[in-house]
Amino acid sequence: MNLYVPILVLLLLGGGFAVVSAVAGSLMGPKRWNRAKVDSYECGIEPTPQPAGGGRFPVKYYITAMLFIIFDIEIIFLFPWAVAFDQMALFGLVEMVLFIVTVFVAYAYVWRRGGLEWD
Amino acid sequence: MTSILLAQEFKSPTIEYAKVAPLLIVFGVAIVSVIAEAFLPRRFRYPTQVVLSLGSLAAALVVTVGLAGSKLLAAEGAIAIDGFTLFLWGTILVMSIISVLLLAERAVDGGVTAFAAQAAALPGTEAEREAQARRLEQTEVFPLFLFAVGGMLLFPAANDLLTMFVALEVLSLPLYLLCGLARRRRLLSQEAAMKYFLLGAFASAFFLYGMAMLYGFAGTISFSGIAAAIGAKTGVDGLLLAGTALVAVGLLFKIGAAPFHMWTPDVYQGAPTAITAFMAACTKIAAFGALLRLFYVALGAARWDWQPMIWVVAILTLGVGSVLALTQSDIKRMLAYSSIAHAGFLLIGFVGVRDHISANTSAILFYLAAYGFATIGAFAVVTLVRDASGEATHLSRWVGLGKRSPIVASVMALFLLAFAGIPLTSGFMGKWAVFSAAWQGGAWPLVVIGVVASVVAAFFYVRVIVLMFFSEPAAEGPTVAVPSVFTSVAVAVGVAATVVLGLMPEPLLQLAARAAQLVG
Amino acid sequence: MPLLFPLVVSALLFAIGVYGVLARRNAILVLMGVELMLNAVNLNLLAFDAWHRDTLHSGQILALFTITIAAAEIGLGLAIVLLLFRTRRQINLDAVRELADREDTDREDAEVRR
Repeated sequence: MNLYVPILVLLLLGGGFAVVSAVAGSLMGPKRWNRAKVDSYECGIEPTPQPAGGGRFPVKYYITAMLFIIFDIEIIFLFPWAVAFDQMALFGLVEMVLFIVTVFVAYAYVWRRGGLEWD
Repeated sequence: MTSILLAQEFKSPTIEYAKVAPLLIVFGVAIVSVIAEAFLPRRFRYPTQVVLSLGSLAAALVVTVGLAGSKLLAAEGAIAIDGFTLFLWGTILVMSIISVLLLAERAVDGGVTAFAAQAAALPGTEAEREAQARRLEQTEVFPLFLFAVGGMLLFPAANDLLTMFVALEVLSLPLYLLCGLARRRRLLSQEAAMKYFLLGAFASAFFLYGMAMLYGFAGTISFSGIAAAIGAKTGVDGLLLAGTALVAVGLLFKIGAAPFHMWTPDVYQGAPTAITAFMAACTKIAAFGALLRLFYVALGAARWDWQPMIWVVAILTLGVGSVLALTQSDIKRMLAYSSIAHAGFLLIGFVGVRDHISANTSAILFYLAAYGFATIGAFAVVTLVRDASGEATHLSRWVGLGKRSPIVASVMALFLLAFAGIPLTSGFMGKWAVFSAAWQGGAWPLVVIGVVASVVAAFFYVRVIVLMFFSEPAAEGPTVAVPSVFTSVAVAVGVAATVVLGLMPEPLLQLAARAAQLVG
Repeated sequence: MPLLFPLVVSALLFAIGVYGVLARRNAILVLMGVELMLNAVNLNLLAFDAWHRDTLHSGQILALFTITIAAAEIGLGLAIVLLLFRTRRQINLDAVRELADREDTDREDAEVRR
């Protein structure tokens, strides 16, 4: 059971911080509403107009999301290296550099083809 | 605790770079060609890509030939480099070179390749018309193709489950895309891509589940470890049986064996014909290589468990392939069913094992080479018979082709005769090798069924020949496009191989016999 | 924990995935079925890895590779589905059937429609 105590403590700390900051913010912060604040939040960009009845997301989201997922997941291969990089020494470093270069080739292709441009 | 274990036991793996050089060349150049695609101006892309593809495949072929006689487990046992691997590498590389020639063909369709001008432009829209008017070409085909070839090289060489799964996906994913990139009949092409993708992903999930079962059974993913675990087991093991059945589903799907063949006719018909040729030849070669290695090396000791299953699959495949081919009215669909039937013949060679597997292995190796050349050649001929809407694939359009263009029709007839297994063609020698190996292995009922199936199959091949030569051509029949040197060479190599392997099969048979030793 | 629990859970997940692929007609939901199948296998792999106390951790490594490959596969699959949607304005798989064994007259109809 002792093994789980740190996890529980961390959970309480994390949850407590979230609750306290949300409650404190709503009690103490100034409230000056404007249109942008009540609008839906989209990662800091201008919210995309939504058609009536739910509608569909523009395809731009799809491309960005897919690129993100693919590049994000590739980083999984860095994880074993991160765990044991000191023992893998030069071999590990060279292999990882090769791997990252390969991922960057894909990145360069996406960039040259305009996959990163929003509009 | 685990981290302490790691710290004690880690040692850098050794990778025999010289021995896996063909793989490295193909994958390396594939990456270079992605860079070329990204940074070169549009007009330089096509020639650069063609040179890169042909150059890398030729270099890999030269290195493969130089490796002859190697027999080792490279990369910490992940890749087996033996005669079997090298024979298959050689075959796949030669067929890939021929396929590149088909991909690069520009003369038959008015100076552009057979691939979509701009894959993202919707069919029938202004954007597509503009892309076509500007004579754009989707040259991403070449890097995708090289990645697929790399996966195919890795697939039969894989000596553990992980490598085999990665190779399976590396060869499949580019092919899914390539299927959807046709310039003409784009809706059909996209439909083919989607069907191939969904069914392929479904099948590879089964393959993966089977791998997990085998891993659970043996506690290791290396083929030799699995073989050792099978040797040590007593009684029946559910994990082993389930795992064997599930990995078989994945591999038999790639081979196109019934009842996992449903995708074959649709995908072969919808895909660009050059890609169909490549898939029909090289995917089948690579997948059969992987099937043989997995089932002979890792699961060989459990032969009595899986052999009955393969018997059933072989019989079903022969039945489906030969009977349904009779009812087809499209030449590409007919060739697809014919490729299913050929998978059945190959499976006959695969099961007839008694004590030594080398006879079976060498028969299958020879059959694969003979079949591959004829298949690529036949599909290459299909790309030449055209009308205003592109390739004229409906069989009614082929009526009287022999009067209109005797050379093309005769070449096609030769390939069809080879498929039918008429003596003096490569197909006969292949069938002979496979049947005699199976007969010696005690699988005589299968051989009898195989002979009956080849008689039925001969009927629909001959039907096409009769159609081409003994009927009057229609008034507005298709024309035969004059190909550039690329397709001509591809067809010529196919013809030469079919004739030479039919008349003088000895050298290749001996090579296949020497190559029939699997390490591990 | 007995090995049986994770194995049964993963078998059930896999079966749900198979059901999703076979029963759903929406291409996206079919893709989700495939993903579910792959993830069920991951659970299986990890369970076996722990059960065998595999010092090489083959099961975990295999699971890592499966995750990446599944991501690549789904990226590609969504691209194909998207292409299909843009040309047809729908992704009902039953409606995508111009390639099939059928009588000649049907095919000519299909070609005329196209």
